[in-house]
Amino acid sequence: MISPRMRYVAAASALLIGLTLSSVASPQSPGGTHVADLKRGAVIAAQGTAAGAPGCAQCHAFNGAADGTGAFPRIAGQSSDYLAAQLRDFASNVRANAVMSPIAKALAPDDVADVAAYYAALDPPFLPLSKPDPALVKAGEQLAKVGSEARGIQACDNCHGPGGAGEPPAIPYLAGQYAPYIAFEVRMWQRGYRKNSPDMMADVAKLLNDQEIAALAAYYQQVRGAAEIAASR
Amino acid sequence: MAQRLKPVDAVTIGVGLTGSLAAHELTQAGLKVVGLERGAARFTVPDFQSPAIHDELRFSIRKGMMQDNTKVAVTFRNNSSETALPIRRWASFLPGQGLGGSFVHWNGQSFRAQVADFIYRTHLIERYGKKFLDACGPELTVQDWGVAYDELEPHYDRFEYLIGVSGKAGNIKGAIQPGGNPFEAPRSREYPNPPMKETYFGAIFRKAVDDLGYHPYPQPSSNLSRPYINPLGLKLNACVFCGFCERYACEHFAKGSPQTAILPVLLKNPNYELRTNCEVLRINLDSSGKKATGVTYVDGAGREFEQPAEVVFVTAFPLNNVRTLLLSGVGKPYDPNTGEGTVGRNYTYQTTGGPTVFMDASINVNPFMSSGAPGTMIDDFGGDNFDHSNLGFIGGQYVGSIMTGGRPIEFHPTPPGTPAWGLEWKRAVARHYNHAILVQQHGTSAPSRLNYLDLDPTYKDARGQPLLRMTFDFPENDVRMSQYIAHKVVEIGRAMGGKIVTRGGIKRPYTTTVYQSTHNCGGAVMGDDPKTSVVNRYQQCWDVPNVFSLGGSSFPQNITYNYSVTIGALTLWSLDAIKKQYLKSPGPMVQA
Repeated sequence: MISPRMRYVAAASALLIGLTLSSVASPQSPGGTHVADLKRGAVIAAQGTAAGAPGCAQCHAFNGAADGTGAFPRIAGQSSDYLAAQLRDFASNVRANAVMSPIAKALAPDDVADVAAYYAALDPPFLPLSKPDPALVKAGEQLAKVGSEARGIQACDNCHGPGGAGEPPAIPYLAGQYAPYIAFEVRMWQRGYRKNSPDMMADVAKLLNDQEIAALAAYYQQVRGAAEIAASR
Repeated sequence: MAQRLKPVDAVTIGVGLTGSLAAHELTQAGLKVVGLERGAARFTVPDFQSPAIHDELRFSIRKGMMQDNTKVAVTFRNNSSETALPIRRWASFLPGQGLGGSFVHWNGQSFRAQVADFIYRTHLIERYGKKFLDACGPELTVQDWGVAYDELEPHYDRFEYLIGVSGKAGNIKGAIQPGGNPFEAPRSREYPNPPMKETYFGAIFRKAVDDLGYHPYPQPSSNLSRPYINPLGLKLNACVFCGFCERYACEHFAKGSPQTAILPVLLKNPNYELRTNCEVLRINLDSSGKKATGVTYVDGAGREFEQPAEVVFVTAFPLNNVRTLLLSGVGKPYDPNTGEGTVGRNYTYQTTGGPTVFMDASINVNPFMSSGAPGTMIDDFGGDNFDHSNLGFIGGQYVGSIMTGGRPIEFHPTPPGTPAWGLEWKRAVARHYNHAILVQQHGTSAPSRLNYLDLDPTYKDARGQPLLRMTFDFPENDVRMSQYIAHKVVEIGRAMGGKIVTRGGIKRPYTTTVYQSTHNCGGAVMGDDPKTSVVNRYQQCWDVPNVFSLGGSSFPQNITYNYSVTIGALTLWSLDAIKKQYLKSPGPMVQA
């Protein structure tokens, strides 16, 4: 049985063989019949596009695990539909972001499809992170799995899947996502900067207080892999 | 020997929609109220959370939220020449059990009845003549309700705002509103929330019925379209279209229910005491038989108690309301041979069923993205909205594209002629799962002197009390009605682009083995005349005036629509009168 880690190495190696040295131009396929090209996606991730989009790897790393600071999210293994939708929303400022919006605007539709498919196919190892406060994780786990009757908050896992594993293609995983990123995005919804998912995440975010946000972020950051998620049910 | 408890002002038998609503009104008026619920306590958190709540095997197939019919079943037969047998697997209808009752697992389809519904007999005779009505079936026992729509309107309004119904008004104070149902009864104002998003199957239906000249509108829904704070200060959330609504509880605080809209306030009221796992055996009457002294119940440990109360509210599922009255000797049981007696009389149901419209494989319906009340509908064939003069039947049905989910165990649409198992079946399911649209017909059920409820002479429950016996078949009138509409609906299915369109409508005999509706109606009906009704216009028992029997059991016959919102309005109407009149001077509120 090949491990996810080995599959990742094999896939990445196969892709690397196909890389060219020059950054890619942005051809368009007619009639929306584009079949995602992972090799081309890998080139965009590494080197950006001729139209001026920088390589994603600079912040998100070539394997999609980012740098672990939480300033940038882990995007590896997130569904290509979700990643592409975020890029479109960055470009249209529905999800306004000073860093990502200009980059997304520089990507052509085929670039978005290719690079989203590339990152969706990855399953890199998790970076070593400091141990969070166990009490905080426990509080987050309670809210994530069960919710709070007193506060009228439903479990996050209702939509984000058991252990935050995601409900692809539409709903992203939270398991293993960096705590500062989760907390930051919840606040973006609370304050109205992030306008995608307005009728769900904006409303849920407004139910949460700072302590609950911190607890949820701490919990989801330390959830690991399918085996652990299954065991946590 | 039952232990006698401290007397209270009022007791409710059952804590579902009517039980929690009545208790809320009474405790607000300062009364001490005890709620006796046969099932367990349960709340949105932790009991309704995912993934456990999406267990289709447990809740849809094994009926995890329903009355435990290994202990208390209902016996059934089609007519009084047969021997009734207990229903040990719920299928046709699904009475709920547990705190919140059936109002937890309901779909949230939230209609008002029409003006004519409440004066049905008067209306039909005025429009078509008595001869016409008799010709539809001499066995039919259609009657008026004793309450008029205008009297109920403020209570409909209050109830809709309590549970946060999402919809588009079609008639505000007589002015027809674009986008709403032009056939609806006049309402005093808009719904508290805008309608739900239209589904793709709804949009396909809308285009077809628009082209055919009908009047599409969004189904009013108590799965909420946006976050909402109700008049009690309780916050409900927006529905996420998870597709697990009917037969399930909502994990998102997004469905109007006792748990989301009433109980959090009621349970904090010091005048209220909830006792769960407490099964009422009977209402106790004094030696005159004209006054209730309280109830006798058994708690979860098997101990028997007598709870004295000044007023008793029968607030169980409609079938259980009737059984409780029969077991307690409140009112005279109906005798189908003489037509005398009232308890059990005018039991009605709901006429349902509709076609499956099999679409081209290029149409991706995505039925799993749905809610309990996601329909796009027409009311052109509802109630008496069309001329029946030359049709030979009374009644009607609404028609709508209403798919409440595409759950994997239950939903396998295959065209007629497909084998029921094996490779060909699998291929057909794969071909049609995401390319089939269900169109619902849902409508009136005419009362008949042949259909009734009584106590079974043979079968008993786990405590040795007789089961309720149901004697029911659809009157020929209802078959003619639903088949007439079925023909129109096949035309709609073709206009939707259906490659294959099956035909709906009901047939005789009625069977309890296929799900149809949980709108069991009547048996303790309301009216002006004690000879033909168990309760008066305030749902107060004629024979025992300190017993009120609330809910669907009061409907003299069933209407076109899902009945929950009308039950809510009737409850508030009764409680309003009780607070203003009865509490000041207990006794009959209407002189017989």
